Formats: sequence, C-alpha cells, structure tokens
Amino acid sequence: MILLECKELTKKYGNHTALSNINLQIESGHIIGLLGPNGSGKTTLLKLINGLLTPSSGTICVNGKPVGVESKRVISYLPDHTYLNGAMRVRDIMDFFADFYQDFDPMRAYDMLAKLQINPNHKLKTLSKGTQEKVQLILVMSRRANLYILDEPIAGVDPAARDYILDTILSNYEETASILISTHLISDIENILDEVIFIQNGTIHTHATVDDLRQKEHKSIDTIFREVFKC
Amino acid sequence: MLRKLLKHEWKSVSKILFPLNLGIIVLTVIGCIILSTDIFDTKNALPITLTLVMFYTLSIMTFSGITLIYIYVHFYKNLFTAEGYLWHTLPVTRTQLFHAKLLAGCFWCSLNSLFTVLSTAALGFAAGFHASKDQIDAAQNLFIDGFSSNAAGETAAGFSFSDIFGFSPVIFVILLLLTLLTACISSVLMGYLSILLGQLMEKYRLAAAIGFYIAIYLITQTLSSLAMLVPYIRLMLSGGDNSASFFNSFFSTMIPTAIISQIILILIFYVASLFLIRRTINLE
Repeated sequence: MILLECKELTKKYGNHTALSNINLQIESGHIIGLLGPNGSGKTTLLKLINGLLTPSSGTICVNGKPVGVESKRVISYLPDHTYLNGAMRVRDIMDFFADFYQDFDPMRAYDMLAKLQINPNHKLKTLSKGTQEKVQLILVMSRRANLYILDEPIAGVDPAARDYILDTILSNYEETASILISTHLISDIENILDEVIFIQNGTIHTHATVDDLRQKEHKSIDTIFREVFKC
Repeated sequence: MLRKLLKHEWKSVSKILFPLNLGIIVLTVIGCIILSTDIFDTKNALPITLTLVMFYTLSIMTFSGITLIYIYVHFYKNLFTAEGYLWHTLPVTRTQLFHAKLLAGCFWCSLNSLFTVLSTAALGFAAGFHASKDQIDAAQNLFIDGFSSNAAGETAAGFSFSDIFGFSPVIFVILLLLTLLTACISSVLMGYLSILLGQLMEKYRLAAAIGFYIAIYLITQTLSSLAMLVPYIRLMLSGGDNSASFFNSFFSTMIPTAIISQIILILIFYVASLFLIRRTINLE
C-alpha cells in the first residue's frame, strides 16, 4: 500500500531551487533512510510532507489525500531542532499531545520517561539539550502513527544516546507503519534501513532497497554514500 | 478541535496576562486607598501628587502596551518560529489555529482595556468622594446624589445626561464598551495581519512585519483622523448655540463613527489575515 506519494514536487526559494521534480513513493512497513549531504534538500522535503512549506509546484499525497488535517493525523514528525515550548512541564506537553493526537499512548510515553529517569514535573528548559531531544523523541514515538518522519534524530548526541534513540525507534514503531529517517550519520543507522533515498542538489539520485544496493555495489551504504557525494 | 486549541491557548497566555492584569487591580486598590488618606491635603503635596499620577499613568500604559505586545509575540512565536513546527503539524486547520489565537488575544486585550477604564473611573470616583470629605456630610451625599442622578439621566444644571452626551446613560455605556471592544479586536488583528504579511518576505520577516505594522498604523490613523473630521465639520456648520448641544452633537456623531470605522477595519484585517494564513506557510 502506498503511504506517501510525491509527484513532480518542486520547491523554490526565490531564484534558488531547493527541490526539483521529485517523484517518490513510500510504502507501508519500511524503514527508509533519506540520505544526502548538507543543503541537499532533505529537510525541505520533510517540511513539505508535513505541510510546513508550500510547494512551488507538484503534489504530495499521504494515504491518497493531500497534505492537511488528515495527513497530520497519521504522521508523527520529529524536526531537527527543539520545537517545544521550554516553559512547559514535560507532563503538560504529554497532556498536549494526548489532547490532539488520538493515537498518542501516554502509558508508553510515561514508561519511557521513567526508564530514562526524566521527571515529568520538570520544565523542559531545565533539562539538558540531550534530554530535551529524548523527550521529543519519546513524544513522537509514543504515537501509533502510519508514518514517522524523523529529521536528524541522532545528530548532536553521544554514541550511547544514539543507541538508545535507535533502540527506541525500532522498539516502538508499528510494524505496518513506515519510518523516514533523514541523516548523514549513515554508518549508525544503515543496519536498520530497508530502503535508502540518496538526495543530491534537490533531486533524487538513487532510491533502492538496501539489499539490492549492497548486492549491486558490493559495498556498505556508508561507502556508497561517500563515493556518490565525494567532494 | 477549536475547543482544545482554545483550552491550551488559554493556559499558555494566562500565565503572563493574568498576573499582568491582576497588577492593574492591585494598582487601583492601592490608588483608592492612597486617595482616601490625607496625603494630598498638606501644602507641599503637589510633588507627591504629580509623582503618583505619573507612576499610575505610566504603569497603566505599560500594562496595556505589554498586553498587546505579548499577544503579538505569542502569535508570532507559536506559529512562525521553532514552535510553529508543533502547532502547524497538529491535526487542525490553519483557520482553527488562527481563530484560537484571535479569540484568546481579543479576550485579553478587551479585558485589559476594560480594567484600565474601570481603574481610571474607580480612582476618579475615589478622588471626588474624598474631596468632599472635609465638607459637611451633606456634601458627600450631594456628591453621591449627583453621581447617581447623572447615571439616572438627570443633572442639577437642568441638562439631562442625554442632552449632553446624546444618549441615555445605559446606551452611552454600551456604546463605549462597543468602542472599546472593536478597538481591541482591530488592534489584535492589525498585529496579526502585519506578522502574516511579513511572512511573505524571503528574509528579515520579523523586521518586515514591524514595517508593515507601522505602515498599516499610519494609514489607519490618517484615515480615522479624516473620518473624525466629518463630525467636526458638521458641528462647525450647524453652529451649536450652547455647550450642551455642542457635546451632544459631538458624542452622538463621534462614537458611532468610531465604531463603524473600527468594524470596517476589523473586516478588512480579518479577511486579509484569513486569506494569508490559508494560502501559504513557509516556516524558516
């Protein structure tokens, strides 16, 4: 079943074209790595899918419907920066998510908070940057969404935290759901990926399954990435 | 969903605006207590009086200014900074988001204006009442009688309230409240529209929003000044024969003109804002 479909998707910022004629289909039940160097258009694509940017041309459909209330109901999105109000307590943010997302599981969220020894009564701004990122990840992964979109979830955290984050992602997503992960730390995530999308200068360079690509090139995804995007 | 948005909006905004407006009440109570003492009865009371009046006026202006600015900042921060990634990915329409912010903003702005007016009235009443304290009791009764008879539409000078203000006291108060409400809604919408216009720019969106605000403010002030000229010209041409009829014409024309012009502005700002927020969102 096609979960996400982009047709002739283009995004321009003035004279600069960030994305050009992107055609993409993502099916249910896959973990897809959106890989590319800085400025290649990864975040732009993810923002377009989440309705945070308006396309210059082209269409995006989630479960066959254009980006809107329905698509936001089934997408769980983790941006690449802190996006929660720091003055709110963790508990209040949990209530906020529970209020708006029917698929949010508070039990799962509180359980993960307890495992990480994060006090839900603490204000977000009193927590360290790494802990804030973990809280955000807990919120996003505590939803039983159809599509998880994670923008650089492991950037800027220590290796131990990376393991925790990847473990959290893998142990909490629904089998029928898909995960679209944007990153350039490929070696850390390549073992969990089913598919990869290489994005370069706003266009899709490669979209293939990890197994096919490895068999074809006889190299790891990390090595292929380094060769494709060699400076 | 609008109800949920309003609930969270209320919780978020109240944290700042509730204590701020509580400040007006506290200031008013303190002012009334000071006015009921003999502090101004001494010969050298003028500097203290001026200082306190200045402090009160500045405080009230600051409270009102902060309220409005906070409403604008809250709207901008929630929808167009990092927090916009949360609000714009909620399963709600942009129109619902806008309406939740608008309703909360208008409520707090109106409440703040109402408190400001009531505070000024309370201090005025307290000052008037105290001024008659040193006279015989009959003078105080006269002050209260005068106040209540004015409210009932009668005055000792032979002119009724309606003769002077052009409306019965009840209608006059309703019209004043309506003026206050429309002015608040239009102020909030003007800020929101400026922010939304600023989002049309590729860069320097906040600076552009401030620029748009100043431009819209100047245009609306010029237009409303011109609109206010109409009653003046009418008064000049009619040439009122006494001060009561002058004020009567002034108020009976000025207040409805102000309300109508504010309603027109509200409609323009609302339609433009709704068009912009529905059309494009490009978060940085």
